[in-house]
Amino acid sequence: MPATAAVAPPPTAPEQLAARLSSGDSDESLLPTLREIKNQIIGNRTKKLLYLRLRAVPKIVALLSSSSSPSPVIIQAAAAVGSFACGVEEGVRAVLDAGAVPHLTVLLSHPDAKVVDSAARSLRIIFQSKLAPKYDFLLEENKTFLLSLLNSTNENITELAASIVAHSCEKPTEQTSLCDAGVVQKLVSLLGGSSNQRDTSLDAISAIVKNNPEVATKFVSISNGKAFNSLMGLMQDRYPRTRLLACVCLISIEQAFPVYFQEMQIKTKLILILLDLIEEAGRVGDEAPFVLKGLIGESEELHRQALSVTAAERLCGYLRKGKAVLEARRLEGILLVLAELGSKLEQSRAQLIELQVPSLIIDLLKHDCAQVRVAACHVIKNISRSLKHLCAGRFGSESIVMPLVQLLCDSSTSVQTAALDAICNVAVNLTTKKSVLLQSGGVSILCQLARSMHSEVRLKSVRALRNLMFLLDRKDKDLILTELTVSTLTILISDPDPLVQEQALALAGNFVDGSGVSTKFIFSEDISIIDAVSRQLKGECSPGMCIQGMFFLANMAAENESQKDAVMDCILPTSLDLSISHPNSFLVTFLQSKERLLRLSTLWCLINLVNPDQRNSFRVSALQGAGIISQLKTMVNDPCLDCKLRVRMVLERCLENRE
Amino acid sequence: MVFLFSIFARTHEASLRHCHCQISTRKFITRDEWERKLKEVKIRKEDMNRLIMNFLVTEGYVDAAEKFRLESGTEPDIDLATITDRMAVKMAVQSGNVQDAIEKINDLNPEILDTNPELYFHLQQQKLIELIRTGKIEEALEFAQDELAPRGEENPAFLEEIEKTVALLAFDDVKNSPYGGLLDMSQRMKTASEVNAAILTSQSHEKDPKLPSLLKMLIWAQNQLDEKAVYPRINDLSTAKLEDSAV
Repeated sequence: MPATAAVAPPPTAPEQLAARLSSGDSDESLLPTLREIKNQIIGNRTKKLLYLRLRAVPKIVALLSSSSSPSPVIIQAAAAVGSFACGVEEGVRAVLDAGAVPHLTVLLSHPDAKVVDSAARSLRIIFQSKLAPKYDFLLEENKTFLLSLLNSTNENITELAASIVAHSCEKPTEQTSLCDAGVVQKLVSLLGGSSNQRDTSLDAISAIVKNNPEVATKFVSISNGKAFNSLMGLMQDRYPRTRLLACVCLISIEQAFPVYFQEMQIKTKLILILLDLIEEAGRVGDEAPFVLKGLIGESEELHRQALSVTAAERLCGYLRKGKAVLEARRLEGILLVLAELGSKLEQSRAQLIELQVPSLIIDLLKHDCAQVRVAACHVIKNISRSLKHLCAGRFGSESIVMPLVQLLCDSSTSVQTAALDAICNVAVNLTTKKSVLLQSGGVSILCQLARSMHSEVRLKSVRALRNLMFLLDRKDKDLILTELTVSTLTILISDPDPLVQEQALALAGNFVDGSGVSTKFIFSEDISIIDAVSRQLKGECSPGMCIQGMFFLANMAAENESQKDAVMDCILPTSLDLSISHPNSFLVTFLQSKERLLRLSTLWCLINLVNPDQRNSFRVSALQGAGIISQLKTMVNDPCLDCKLRVRMVLERCLENRE
Repeated sequence: MVFLFSIFARTHEASLRHCHCQISTRKFITRDEWERKLKEVKIRKEDMNRLIMNFLVTEGYVDAAEKFRLESGTEPDIDLATITDRMAVKMAVQSGNVQDAIEKINDLNPEILDTNPELYFHLQQQKLIELIRTGKIEEALEFAQDELAPRGEENPAFLEEIEKTVALLAFDDVKNSPYGGLLDMSQRMKTASEVNAAILTSQSHEKDPKLPSLLKMLIWAQNQLDEKAVYPRINDLSTAKLEDSAV
């Protein structure tokens, strides 16, 4: 305790202490006050917020720059400033707004070593925050200053320098500039220092190397690969945090310079180490799954490799044991890794289903944290793409469907969209037993969401309805369209978003089933779905939309006479078209398309139209007049076998009709 | 000490050499043979000195470390001055002067308590325990409300511990209450140990001495060898006496 003779002990009430700061003193008499404030706030978020509200920060920062402040006062003030910035966002803001950074930077050259230490520490804490100012590395004087910090013998200062690099180095120009100035070399030498220096240095190296092949190449050649070997060694360091940071660093290098990592060995090691780290306590274990996801993401090869080292079993085992107590962040991470594993390979999905992943994560669909709910939906979405299990109706059970349907009404939009994605895939259930989904009340929610303001929500809900509608019983199809209403469907067919239009057309196509009974919905009052479809097809529409539109018309044409007539009316050129001298039907353009599916869907429509019955010769002549038959004749050797077959079918039937 | 390490090295060697033998028959090694083999193993004195120094430094025996340095010429891997600071903090906790300990830690390194919420909580919990121990019930209640309750709000994981500690206030005979164990010296020692470890970590020093790990390895190696051979064992680590095993 500093000797403060003849001064009464300071009060402990924050209000009184904060008031003392305003006394205008900056000498030793302020020391007990500062010390008391510092000791109250360190580790204590509640007290920090209190002092922030009492506007203590600007007064304390002012003491840093006052020339009359003696060293002990500066030391305490700097420590207090650092503490305010530690882990409290408002604290960082207050400290930055009060202009602490330039003052602390000046103090780095103070003659008193303790002052330098205190300032360096606090600056380092500030630079660990996302809110810290961006350091401009491209300015020569800044680079020189940074290098001088890196050359210091003071551990706090070198750590500060590394922190600045880790926080601010982003652009390729900055990375290259720092690399050329020898910063990477300096950081590599810090790898041999104390564990704190090593950790901050690893962070900094990751930042410099990230997405920069040039710098990554330079790194691996430092000291003939010795630097790279040190990194490999640090992957197995005794401290989990160091191991994790080393993994992150290696992954940055691998992604910038993949050729160096062609052999699987290192990547396999990384996977195994990260799987181990996921079981570590604290933030290391929370962040490790995200790092693992970043490593294996998008690569089938790495997915296979991860599966071969029992990644799925380990993650499931870990979830099974501890999901009740795991931190939300860690749960989210593990789920995202499982979702990633199920995203590409059928073998992965099969394995995850065998491991009972769906039932394992059902209760996580109700987790308090929205991100966990989203991640759980992603898992179901990806795993339910397994064809083998979809056919078996594995995903139609109540235990999965009900929680998903509930999430459609979640307060968070990201959860809603994730649940929609999952339901979309679950609704593809290729058996016709979709009863659970139909009875769950999900249909009315989906229809409501189809009227949402957000185009993404509309898109996904219409897609889900489309999938649900496929191969359903007549009465169930009618129920869905009654719920959705024909007018909504018509509006969706003309939605401002082309993707929504495409799904709506597909939904309409799935609704028509060729039994002739869907008529009452297609022509109700003055709303005509077929008119809406017709408008779209004749306008500017994407190939995807045209394909769906043609499938709709093809299905219509499979129904009855009046349907066929309606389709004919749609596809034949109207008087308007004739006047602009376009005697050909738009079908001709479709038949000329490079898109195989568009040709095919158009051909199916034609096949259904010329199906042998009474009025066919009439229709054939009409088609002839619209240029369709001539177009078909040029397609007898279409490169696509399916199309070739259908072309010949149409032409044969047309010929039959002639006879 | 040499003896112990020789045993460890020997046991490990024996494990490796005899790993091909059948499970049902264990090789029998006589005491003479064993002792002869032990003599062959070489351990460097410098290594042992460093182990001892590491133990003294990590546990905080400053004077002993200083003396040992002078007598053996072994350099400590940490600045002895920092040990003094660390020991002052540890002593403060062990004597129940928690506020003093907190102030000393903050002088040493203001980041420690900011980055170790569990430690900070345990120190405040200890402070409350000390207030209850000295019968300052009013002050204890106020402290619990002003300082401990916010910790529970900031971090729900602490709520259970807070409840246990505050429950002490409900009893007249605190020592014999359900959570009376919190008043034991062992609780102070636990907190003191936590503080010691946190300071060591912040100084980039390992928080555990190497010696206990080596002894654990010895026990493990002997257990492994037990499956393959019958040999003179060390059953009491403190004496390191070789005892014949029953066949």
